[in-house]
Amino acid sequence: MHEFHWTHTLITVVVVLAVIMGACAYLILLERKTAAFIQDRLGPNRVGPHGLLQPIADGLKFLFKEEVIPRRADRLLFLMAPAVAMGTALFAFAVVPFGPTSVPPDPPPPDATMQQVRQYEIALAEYKASYQFVIAPGLDIGILFVFAIGSLSVYGVILGGWASNNKYSFIGGLRSSAQLISYEIPLGLSVLGVLLMAGSLNLERILDVQTRYGWFILYQPLAFLLFLVSAFAETNRLPFDLAEAEQELVGGFHTEYSGLKFGMFFLGEYTHMITTSFLLSILFLGGWHCPFLAEPAHTGMVGTIVKLMVLALKVFGFIMLYMIIRWTIPRFRFDQLMALAWKVLIPLALANFVCVVIVQEFGWSWVWLTLASIALFFGAGYFGTRSQTTPQPV
Amino acid sequence: MDFELQSYYPVFIYLAAVIAVVLATLVAAHLIGPRKETPVKTMPYESGMDPVGDARRRFDVKFYLIAIMFLVFDVELLFLYPWAVAAYRERAILPPELRSTIFCGILIFVALLVISYVYDWRKGVFRWR
Repeated sequence: MHEFHWTHTLITVVVVLAVIMGACAYLILLERKTAAFIQDRLGPNRVGPHGLLQPIADGLKFLFKEEVIPRRADRLLFLMAPAVAMGTALFAFAVVPFGPTSVPPDPPPPDATMQQVRQYEIALAEYKASYQFVIAPGLDIGILFVFAIGSLSVYGVILGGWASNNKYSFIGGLRSSAQLISYEIPLGLSVLGVLLMAGSLNLERILDVQTRYGWFILYQPLAFLLFLVSAFAETNRLPFDLAEAEQELVGGFHTEYSGLKFGMFFLGEYTHMITTSFLLSILFLGGWHCPFLAEPAHTGMVGTIVKLMVLALKVFGFIMLYMIIRWTIPRFRFDQLMALAWKVLIPLALANFVCVVIVQEFGWSWVWLTLASIALFFGAGYFGTRSQTTPQPV
Repeated sequence: MDFELQSYYPVFIYLAAVIAVVLATLVAAHLIGPRKETPVKTMPYESGMDPVGDARRRFDVKFYLIAIMFLVFDVELLFLYPWAVAAYRERAILPPELRSTIFCGILIFVALLVISYVYDWRKGVFRWR
């Protein structure tokens, strides 16, 4: 197990929290700039050069705005909802590696020679002495922890919707909680395949397996796609932002929230986006690993910086994907949203899971999984479009 | 791998930090923001109309069905996770002579789930109108 240092952990925690919150503020600016670019506008450009101080101005404005609590709202739950939304989103980051990590060496077999034991001890000491870029290194529950905490965020939505005592909030909260719990299942099922191949829940170990055998997106492109779609739905981003469909529900579950409490919901959403981008990079794209450029053997200052950059680039790529898709695909109808989760994603994820089980059981090459994924994808597309029915008039 | 509480200490520290940040934000919002409540301002927002009745009314039973289906699938996932981690790792921890039994068991488990899933589909649980 990794050695525990008070100072290391405290510094890591403070830095991570500060960076996440700063990143959220600037991602909002980036999102507005991207939106402006796509819509051929200028975007925020008044506060500071190129609008670079806009996030600070926004934060101050959040702080100095009046906090209205509706008269008939449930005050305790009303205050709890944004706290839960922001707290769970931040807390889920505890086990996510944000830079180069390594795994402890395997213990030697019982009949090992003295030399093997010596080698193991040296490797273990090396592992213990190295700094791991994750808040809680060597935590075996890993991805399960992220899911457990991440799925608590549904409470922020449903509490906010219920406590406001507002019809828009109530409907928005109901819809959103149905959406969140529906998409959690394909999310969990698509990760199962990765777990079967990696044999561990620990994200550092999953990464380590990928550095040795190749990224999991090569073997499970379908699972990657399912995870991506579910992650979009889990973060409430377009095209799945039915919770806050402005045209029909005003603001959904946060209609009644103002000032910093609204800001907390916002921060929660962006943190969730960052976490899922990290998960996508780590589970399927090899995290900090990049062939030839960032291999596990590359240690030292330069290697560490290169690995940090590689991971940051992957995460940034996913965040940009989130933003571009927001301005590309229109919002789903609610029945389409539910049908996508229950009639498309879940059967596909189950079929994919069974394929992985069979390949693993008989010890076939993982290349077969790639072929199975592609076959499933096109098969589903063929059957899906063949039996396409026009919506029945109600 | 043995369980060591020590590896969870950072999680607790991080939890404390997160709770502190969240509470500080709530308190800051409470202390700094102005507060001038008027009856109209504290009314539920309904696009400018005076609200009629309570917002917490009856809603579609479909949401309950989705929640129940979610429970079924989620508990099933919880059963599958430990097995998935232990099943095919490099340093095997499952006894090799039980391997095919476990494999068949998992397939039956998934088949049961698929049967209930197909039943639900035919019953129209996933049909929203």
